[in-house]
Amino acid sequence: MKTILFLLLLFPFAGGFLLALIGRYLPRRAAEWIGCLSVLASLLMAILAFPSAGEKRSLFTLFDWIRVGDFSASMTVSYDPLAAIMTLMVTFVSSLIHLYSVSFMRNDRDYVRYFCYMNFFVFSMLVITLADNLVFLYLGWEGVGFCSYSLIGFWYSDVVNATAGRKAFILTRIGDVAFGVAIALFFLFLNQFSISAINAKASSLNAGTATLLALLLFWGAVGKSAQLPLIVWLPDAMAGPTPVSALIHAATMVTAGAYLLMRLFPVIALSPAALLTIAAVAALTGLFSALAALGQKDIKRILAYSTISQVSYMFLGVGAGDVAGSMAHLIVHAFFKALLFLGAGCVIQALREEHDIFKMGNLRHRLPAVFWLYLAGAVSLGAIPPFGSFFGKDRILLSTFSHPEAVYKVLAVIGELGAVITVLYTFRMFFVAFLSRPSAPEGLEKRDLQIPKFMIWINLPLAILAVFAAGLDFPEAFGGRAWLSRYLASVPGGTPLFPISSGFERSAEIGSGLLNIAVLVTAYFVYRPEGRFLRWLSPAALRETLGAILFHGFYLDRFYQIALVGPYQKMAEVLWSKVDERGVDHLFEDTGIALRLSSFGLRRWTTGRLSTYLKMLLLGLMAIISALALGWYSLR
Amino acid sequence: MIVPYGNVLLLAVTLFFVGAVCAVARRNLLMILIGVEVMLNAAGLALVGASLKWQSLDGQVFVLFIFAVAASEVAVGLALIVYLQRRTGSVNADHYHRMKG
Amino acid sequence: MTFYGVIFYLLAIVVLVSTLLAITRRQVVHAVVYLILSFVTTALLFYLLGAPFLAVLEVMIYAGAIMVLFLFVVMTVRLEPQEGTKGETLRQWLPAIVLSFISFSVGGILIFETPTSRLVLNTAVATPMAFGHYLFKSYWFPVEIVSFLLLIGLVGALYLGRQESKPSREKGENPS
Repeated sequence: MKTILFLLLLFPFAGGFLLALIGRYLPRRAAEWIGCLSVLASLLMAILAFPSAGEKRSLFTLFDWIRVGDFSASMTVSYDPLAAIMTLMVTFVSSLIHLYSVSFMRNDRDYVRYFCYMNFFVFSMLVITLADNLVFLYLGWEGVGFCSYSLIGFWYSDVVNATAGRKAFILTRIGDVAFGVAIALFFLFLNQFSISAINAKASSLNAGTATLLALLLFWGAVGKSAQLPLIVWLPDAMAGPTPVSALIHAATMVTAGAYLLMRLFPVIALSPAALLTIAAVAALTGLFSALAALGQKDIKRILAYSTISQVSYMFLGVGAGDVAGSMAHLIVHAFFKALLFLGAGCVIQALREEHDIFKMGNLRHRLPAVFWLYLAGAVSLGAIPPFGSFFGKDRILLSTFSHPEAVYKVLAVIGELGAVITVLYTFRMFFVAFLSRPSAPEGLEKRDLQIPKFMIWINLPLAILAVFAAGLDFPEAFGGRAWLSRYLASVPGGTPLFPISSGFERSAEIGSGLLNIAVLVTAYFVYRPEGRFLRWLSPAALRETLGAILFHGFYLDRFYQIALVGPYQKMAEVLWSKVDERGVDHLFEDTGIALRLSSFGLRRWTTGRLSTYLKMLLLGLMAIISALALGWYSLR
Repeated sequence: MIVPYGNVLLLAVTLFFVGAVCAVARRNLLMILIGVEVMLNAAGLALVGASLKWQSLDGQVFVLFIFAVAASEVAVGLALIVYLQRRTGSVNADHYHRMKG
Repeated sequence: MTFYGVIFYLLAIVVLVSTLLAITRRQVVHAVVYLILSFVTTALLFYLLGAPFLAVLEVMIYAGAIMVLFLFVVMTVRLEPQEGTKGETLRQWLPAIVLSFISFSVGGILIFETPTSRLVLNTAVATPMAFGHYLFKSYWFPVEIVSFLLLIGLVGALYLGRQESKPSREKGENPS
């Protein structure tokens, strides 16, 4: 078992390492095979390990990493049901995306770098998923941050991409600092780095400490998962290749924040204040980003804001005390979001790098297979019952609503509002982009690029899973088996803190399902192709302002730019020109000049003349005699 | 009863530094050598005084060796000076500055 | 102030004055002559301090051999009488005098702080026979080494001073 887990982590790392060393010298196919096979092998390992999850013994030490005096941090993994599910999902989605990437990046010359970073990313993500030791987890945390930065700025010759990468890195760093502090505090208070030990000893923390730790962890998760107020990096991160967006910024890295909170749930559950904060921020983020997604034109940016919104549901679930529900949504989200991104990638490539949905259209005839796959994804995202994320999202909302405090009911309503808008923007995206438009120029189809069939069909498994994933956790209220909930029941937080009464559950779900369908129909009428939607809305000025606000994500990014980035850059400039150039450089230069002058001065002693040297001899003699005298005198 | 031991030492020290001044301040190579001779002589004087004070013959034996060494050193030094004079025509110490760094 | 004390101080004055004169002469020959006087007086001092054998040796070796050697070399090496221009005199002498004075002061302090310096020396004589006995009893090995050293000095001096048997010898001997 230990070997299987070890190999699970080793394969992507070895793949990345091998590619980094010799990838350049291999033929293209070989490098692509190495990249994909390593992740596929990991998937195999995950499948092999899966049956053993939930057994008594779940901790395995893979490698004794740091051992300094009393302090030791070893690479320990903890394979409980939560980790098992997550591992399976990560490896599965990563494998599919790697295979997709082979054909997506078929014309790119930097494929070695791409696959190398992707492999390292998978390794780091698996470390986060499995790690028991917090320092080891931090290693993976930083690893995904770095790989994300490298892959966002993959086409770095365009400075926009590089800037986006840097922005992502800096913003997640702000969160990482809090996470690092939390790790240190864990060691300080509990003298432990092991998650399982911390969870076991969690009850020994008092409420204040637990709140502090939970909030620090939450801040770290906020950075990594792009929740308010650190959301501004994710829309810009769409500058990277689409498979990267699919893998990192949809299925895996952004969910790492929620996953961390789920792993350390016993600590967080000790503090009601922290739970409330998490839930409140999550609900607000959900609504915020859903509205922002409604105003976007770039298909990838819509999906980015959508990711922020959906991840916030996972956080909401954690805040409500329902880890299993969050996890269910996380898994389904991974499937449909990856599907949507990959489908968008197909569309973008076929339409020659067109991102604007208003310039697409009539894709039913141009890319029929993508049309149906994308529809599957949209249905899953929009939570159209009984498919996709419907049951997961509703379960989260119901858990929130069942919370005894009144605040949570408000948050549940906000969440429901967000869900409604989700349907709206999802199908806005779908209808505008995919249905036929009369205004589209006629000869457009002829300009389309032929994309490899493989790229399209690799999405099929994702589509099937996305649509029918509801089966994973079909609620018992409707006669289902709720397999996932049962599976995760042994995990801390697996059973919801505030169980939902089944009668209420039934009626609520039916109600929200009908609501979703109603919104879907409304969206059709608003956004259908004939272009009559222009007349439905209020006067043009208001619509434009509203549209602009939504488009710019409530100007949050602009605000950060003015308030934080601008002054910082100004200060950096001043420090550079005044302090660094003049001060520090001059300091060094003058030191050098002073040294040279002194050496010139000293050089005058080496006259090569006997008389000088004799003088020096006498001087030395005097010094020695004086020293002896001093020493002798002080001894008396 | 002659003099206090310190006086003998003081005389020797004075002579020694007179010789040191001569060696350091003069430019003529021969004068430098003369300064060295004076210094050696002063050392010998100190040793004889010490030998008298401690009533031991070791001091005087050492002076004998100093004489021998001084003699051979002077011989070689003067031979060098003659050689230099033949080669470069000058016994001024300032003339030899090829090792200037 | 005993009789011997008076003699000591007289001799000390003579030594000091003659040495001082020796080092300040422009002509090397003058300096050598004064130095011979200084050495002879030192020999007398040795005799006073109970080392007659050494006194004689001082006259023989130092004043007799070494200084004469100096005179020979002065004769061979035809020197320019002046030594540097007038202006440089202070620059030459001042550092040496200052440094020496400081060292001398320190040395003087050292001497007069030790209690043993106040002990008055008693007269004693080391007869040559006793000296010889002692020398060859305890220090025979250094004697052998010193003789070897003298041999080396001899060979070195011979080698350095040899005339080169080449036609360019004529040019080399011309003073420039």
